[in-house]
Amino acid sequence: MSSSPTLARDLSSPPLAKESSTRLVFQMALRDVSVLFRTPWIIITRSLAFVIQLFVFAFLISGLIHVPGLNFFQYYAVGSVVATIASISFVIGYDIFEEAEEGVLDYLLTLPISRRQFIIGRALGGALRAIIYIIPMFLVVALIEGFAQPLSIISALLSLFLLAFGVTGMSITVAVSVKSANRFDVVLALLELAVSRASTALYPITFMPLYVSVFAPFSPVSFAADSARASLVGFTLDLPAIAGLIAFVVVFLGLGAAFYFRRLEGGIYS
Amino acid sequence: MSIITFDNAGKRFGSLDAVKDFSITIKDGEILGLLGPNGAGKTTLMLMMGTVYRPTSGTISVNGYDVVKHPNEVRKLIGIAFQDPRLDGILSAFDVLNWHLKMTTLFDKVERRRRVEDVLKSLDLWEARKKRTWLMSGGMKKKVEDAKILVQRPSIAVFDEPTAFLDVPSRLLVWKMIRQLRDEGSTVIVATNMMDEAERLSERVAIVNKGKLVASETPEQLKGTVKGGEVLELTLNDGSEFKPGLLKEFPEVHDVKQQDNKIMVFLNSGTLLLPKIVDTLSSQGFKIESVRLKEVSLEDVFLTYTGQRLE
Ligand SMILES: Nc1ncnc2c1ncn2[C@@H]1O[C@H](COP(=O)(O)OP(=O)(O)OP(=O)(O)O)[C@@H](O)[C@H]1O
Ligand SMILES: [Mg+2]
Repeated sequence: MSSSPTLARDLSSPPLAKESSTRLVFQMALRDVSVLFRTPWIIITRSLAFVIQLFVFAFLISGLIHVPGLNFFQYYAVGSVVATIASISFVIGYDIFEEAEEGVLDYLLTLPISRRQFIIGRALGGALRAIIYIIPMFLVVALIEGFAQPLSIISALLSLFLLAFGVTGMSITVAVSVKSANRFDVVLALLELAVSRASTALYPITFMPLYVSVFAPFSPVSFAADSARASLVGFTLDLPAIAGLIAFVVVFLGLGAAFYFRRLEGGIYS
Repeated sequence: MSIITFDNAGKRFGSLDAVKDFSITIKDGEILGLLGPNGAGKTTLMLMMGTVYRPTSGTISVNGYDVVKHPNEVRKLIGIAFQDPRLDGILSAFDVLNWHLKMTTLFDKVERRRRVEDVLKSLDLWEARKKRTWLMSGGMKKKVEDAKILVQRPSIAVFDEPTAFLDVPSRLLVWKMIRQLRDEGSTVIVATNMMDEAERLSERVAIVNKGKLVASETPEQLKGTVKGGEVLELTLNDGSEFKPGLLKEFPEVHDVKQQDNKIMVFLNSGTLLLPKIVDTLSSQGFKIESVRLKEVSLEDVFLTYTGQRLE
């Protein structure tokens, strides 16, 4: 090297300030968001698939289902956006598990950020990524259903974000707890099924078999679907559902951050 | 002044003690070589120090901060270049380094670019800066991994086998760049299983074997611990009948080690003794295929402490 660069140690002392740790959480989140923009075709093809699904399937079913006072097409359209964001939010757990398998996680764990901030950054990144991912679908639905109230759109998006944030937290919790690839896949797939299928996202509770209908009201996906529909269709806030979503986020991110994530350790998973 | 202290540190993976009762102090501003065979525990030691693994026993402190109690303070001081490159494969070399600087320093965009350009050019990677790292050759990836720490210039720089997969010119260059880092005030730890790397790069060498520290001195001092100062290497056509006692009768012979057909005799006055040793062996019916008399090297030190050869 011709010119000898200045030492980091001189410039980074006094130690990185508080605001810089917020910056690092945000950088961590951006890293996950940017993955999406490196593969834009995924958004395009998935959005197309979504539209096809909506028009062919939902249209067909809504012709068969007649519940007084329920526009099933509308119900299904909003619900499928919610179901999609839930399943996309699960992806972050797979990402982290893969990083652990490849050892990149070890590297990330050496960076000057606490474990807690690391996980919150990743959950935030996963959630933002999921929101960006469903925005085209959300717009399609908003357009065909004529949801033009900006406030109701914002409050629906907020419910979606809370759902995504909680699901990413849950997915990461599984990823850092289950250190065997086979078990990880099974656990995550089951959770995904349980959370999104046993929910009121796509079908009203009256259509469910008893054993599902017992659990469905407590699924975070139901909370999000109910509150998104309440704001978009009914122009109201479904406060119990929003409270349920917040509780979901607190359980998987708040408690995880307080008690569990601190103990996260590196090492290649098998 | 010591900057890092391992105090009876240990790491257990299941029933395996990867590191056991390991104690050492590392001085501020030195280059310490951690020399040990495969599986000795070098990487585990470095990753405990870097807060990736939690020690299962003992304590490690870095600049006064306990790695378990104040991991964040420790992370601000240390940068680790991993043994196997740990790169986001989808990113280009430039982006990997730029992101690393974003996460570890407060440099602005201009300074980040200046540093990345500087190091990539030195390592002959500037042309390939836009290539996704997963498309790079093993040696190129390894250089990008080392470059992370060379751009960051942390107070404590850890290089885990920094020149594995590198060609000779690149090895010399990386050594030079690591020395520069130390000259600017960083403390440097280099884990390696290459004798020449340990010898040429480190001011102090810590020999690690089976998770334990077996010796730590300057390379010269370590050589001095081998009695005699000379080594006679004999290769027999068949070593199965050989008994070390045969040569230990000579007062000038201090130690005899055997690995299959290879006999290492640690002695002084080797030139005078050589004919007598050859006579003794021939009279016992051993056929000698080759004889080499040399000064004690770090390799011999390693052999006397671990009973193993590295290359
Ligand atoms: N994450 C892990 N889980 C279980 N065992 C591990 C893990 N990491 C290392 N080990 C074991 O600990 C021991 C020490 O490994 P380590 O990687 O520290 O050795 P090393 O000195 O770096 O070897 P090398 O020169 O091959 O890199 C080995 O037996 C290894 O199998
Ligand atoms: Mg190693």
